[in-house]
Amino acid sequence: MRPLTWERLLLRCGLLALILFGVVVVSLKMGAVQVSLYGLGRDLIHVLLGRSSAISTDYGMIVLNIRLPRILLGIVVGASLSVAGASFQALLRNPLADPYVLGISSGAALGAIVALIVESHMAISPEMAGLVTPFGAFIGAAITIAAVYLLGMRDGQMESSTLLLGGIISASFLSAVIMFLMTTLSGSNLRGTAFWLMGDLSTPQPKTLLYLLGIGFLLAAGAIYTTSSDLNLLLAGEKEAMHLGVEVRRVRIVVYIAASILTGLAVSVSGAIGYVGLLVPHVMRLIFGSDHRMLIPASALGGAIALVLADTLARTVVAPSDLPVGAMTAMAGAPLFIYLLRRRIA
Amino acid sequence: MGKISHNSCRGRFVPRFRCQSSPRTILLVFALLFFLAEKVTAQANAASATPAQANTHEVVDEVGRTVRVPLVPTRIVSLAPNLTETVYALGLQDRLVGDTDYCDYPPEAQKKPKVGGAINPNLEQIAALRPDLVLVTKDLNRLDTVRALDTLGIPSYSTDAAHTIDGIISSTERLAGILGAAQAGKVVGDDLHRRLTTLQESLRSVPATHVLFVVWTQPLISAGKNTFIADALRKAGAISIVDSTQDWPQMSLEEVVHLQPDFLVFAADQTGAGTRAFEALVSLPGWQLLDAVRNRHYAVISDAVNRPAPRIVSAIEDLAHQLHPASFQDLPSLGKEIVPTNSTSPAGPQAGSFPPPDSLSGTCGMESSCAL
Repeated sequence: MRPLTWERLLLRCGLLALILFGVVVVSLKMGAVQVSLYGLGRDLIHVLLGRSSAISTDYGMIVLNIRLPRILLGIVVGASLSVAGASFQALLRNPLADPYVLGISSGAALGAIVALIVESHMAISPEMAGLVTPFGAFIGAAITIAAVYLLGMRDGQMESSTLLLGGIISASFLSAVIMFLMTTLSGSNLRGTAFWLMGDLSTPQPKTLLYLLGIGFLLAAGAIYTTSSDLNLLLAGEKEAMHLGVEVRRVRIVVYIAASILTGLAVSVSGAIGYVGLLVPHVMRLIFGSDHRMLIPASALGGAIALVLADTLARTVVAPSDLPVGAMTAMAGAPLFIYLLRRRIA
Repeated sequence: MGKISHNSCRGRFVPRFRCQSSPRTILLVFALLFFLAEKVTAQANAASATPAQANTHEVVDEVGRTVRVPLVPTRIVSLAPNLTETVYALGLQDRLVGDTDYCDYPPEAQKKPKVGGAINPNLEQIAALRPDLVLVTKDLNRLDTVRALDTLGIPSYSTDAAHTIDGIISSTERLAGILGAAQAGKVVGDDLHRRLTTLQESLRSVPATHVLFVVWTQPLISAGKNTFIADALRKAGAISIVDSTQDWPQMSLEEVVHLQPDFLVFAADQTGAGTRAFEALVSLPGWQLLDAVRNRHYAVISDAVNRPAPRIVSAIEDLAHQLHPASFQDLPSLGKEIVPTNSTSPAGPQAGSFPPPDSLSGTCGMESSCAL
């Protein structure tokens, strides 16, 4: 393998970014409402030139106010989940680790449902109302992460298998609580929960939330990136890394918290989308190798590509209805995962 | 992370690679992307800001939101089957430009442009229809959908969850007012009230029949006492054995056997489906413990009973005739009463194909033979 240089990193990321751009353009074009590629290009140029008044209002509204925000949301959520997955896999030295398996998604779902129930009993101003569910989901994710972390600690040491088992147990326990709540409180506002549990990007989010999401992603992913060389050494084993001068404890805390923030943010706006966090890092590792200085930005871009693609399919296969994007990622992800698994064994 | 770790990465990494500079660059790139995205969306918002419309007024909808709607909406999108039916019942179908996949009544409603399901409608499709009013109901639609419409500047009017038949009628009249057709609303409402009054007079002397309304058979789901379905049963001279404050309680067979309903009531889109549901239920272990099952006391009514729309009154009349045939024998105009008298709905003739004639005689026949 040739050594990773600054130029190669930029080249590869640039290539991925180019693919992402292509996917975004395709995604902008596809949808329940037909938009010609020519019209799309013309409108985008109009916007970039600051002459948005020249856009026909119909397409302007549909493409720029509905499709584009959804695509941007997909990019941030996909990148967050994927970077979180890559970090967890490195941290726990377990290829199965991802936000879904660790129970974080279920915790967020429970938080969102509790927030929905609380919200219906409280008078909340319309501007704030859209923020209640994401906030609840984030709190739920944070509590679950802390609980799973405590479950995974033994004699002050983090044991990756215990942590994973703790995550799986927490997920099934939380799912049971969700079922209980949904059966006993058949309130009308719990109707969207099924979509939420599958993961869904169709709900436009308040702008403030999108900014929060973007900034959160940059900070957390940046924090993880600063530890990427340490993560490389951690792959060889904790003792080995420690002997090579890695502050294992600090790295572990930084990565765990940052990856949890990424997951919490993503899940709070989109629900429990599976497989992106699990699969994209594996695919990227196959293509680019397991150097985290390359793997983390590649996972971010790859996750964005994967989720935008999946969401485009979710929007179009049963148009005009929307499919939850989580159903799409699971349908495409599970067979792909099995394929990768078989290939590795063979 | 010090310099040491860089230089000691199993010899695979050349020192030329400067790790510290890349996060900063990537941050910068992302910041730039977000700046661009913001610029694009801000301009799009400016572009889509429609000029203030003159012919609008502010109304408070049934869930308490103050919304600005056109005086006479001309491009209506309905996001619930019962609202679609109501629009048709008011004779305003020409102004309906879109509805959901589930809007199947009247049959013409199926030909309207579809915007997807009620829970997951496609926002793009709704926006493309350029509606000046979107009708939603708290019963069925998601709050997220309403918020999304708000964000896009598309006015929406929401009806509340209905709990009584009178509530459905007054909600219909209110909606008619919002749609600029108050007169049509009054005609429809008065007609429904008149038919219900006639029905109550016929049923005055008969005791209420204890029924189990079957929403779903496996698991057994019935309707709670606060639902409009329970009120529809009361109006039809029946009383639900289910005394639950939950809307759709799951019942255990033990409880049903203990309460022993006189009749089972099924709602089906056609007679055959209701009978099949009954037969399926009968074949399950334990159900033979019910007198109603052994005596084949069951009624099948139109699934209109599941929808809070004007047509529910026809289903109530139908059920009353099936449960209390004796009360209607002296009425010469029995057949005519069942057919909805709503002339504004072009679907009038189709409504005549309701189960009543067949199932009515069928149930009566079985009842008399079993009574031996």
